[in-house]
Amino acid sequence: MDEGDVALRNLTYGLFVELGRAPTVDDTSTAIGATPDDVWAGWQRLHDDHALVLQSHTRELRMANPFSAVPTAYRVFADDRWWYANCAWDAFGVCAALHVDGRIEASCADCGEPIKVQVRDEQPDDVTLLFHCVVPAALWWDDIVST
Amino acid sequence: MNLFRSEEHIVRWLGTRANGATIPVTKLCELAYAWWGDRIDPNWQPHTRQQNQAILNGLGLTDQFWSLSATVPNT
Repeated sequence: MDEGDVALRNLTYGLFVELGRAPTVDDTSTAIGATPDDVWAGWQRLHDDHALVLQSHTRELRMANPFSAVPTAYRVFADDRWWYANCAWDAFGVCAALHVDGRIEASCADCGEPIKVQVRDEQPDDVTLLFHCVVPAALWWDDIVST
Repeated sequence: MNLFRSEEHIVRWLGTRANGATIPVTKLCELAYAWWGDRIDPNWQPHTRQQNQAILNGLGLTDQFWSLSATVPNT
């Protein structure tokens, strides 16, 4: 990943937080002063480097981990906004990335019962919950959306 | 990568699926802060696989399940 792509990645993440949603190619090209095609080409390189994840059929972001560009079962209220996270790990990651306390709203993957976790000073208020990961770490990026 | 009420819920949800790894939510939270804490730093730099593995190892996640073996950085 060269310096230009790192700068594009960092600007993209900055826009995500500033806008409270995934920036579009046009948002990003305007902000960085590049053409939309140049932004898209850069995003494709960043996708290949696992620095972000693109939608498979449109010129849009799918993930700027831990943030999700699309609605998911993991919602996080943090920094006065609701965010979607890609998974349970990323839900805590939203609080971590923003460096703020937050509230995670999800559900038990088995029974569907709502789960609400307050994160305060980097600690969950419900310590009885468990996290389960099916896919071994070495395979996470084989299909990161399913992982 | 899901949250569950208890081990019983995990077993039921897994059914015939292969078992993965289970950690307490407190460990997950620690992991999240170690892994994602720098993600919106304007001076963020890519993590190497070794850096990411060190985060996992540092939290005691050292068995084969948590071994990263991809050939490109897991940023």
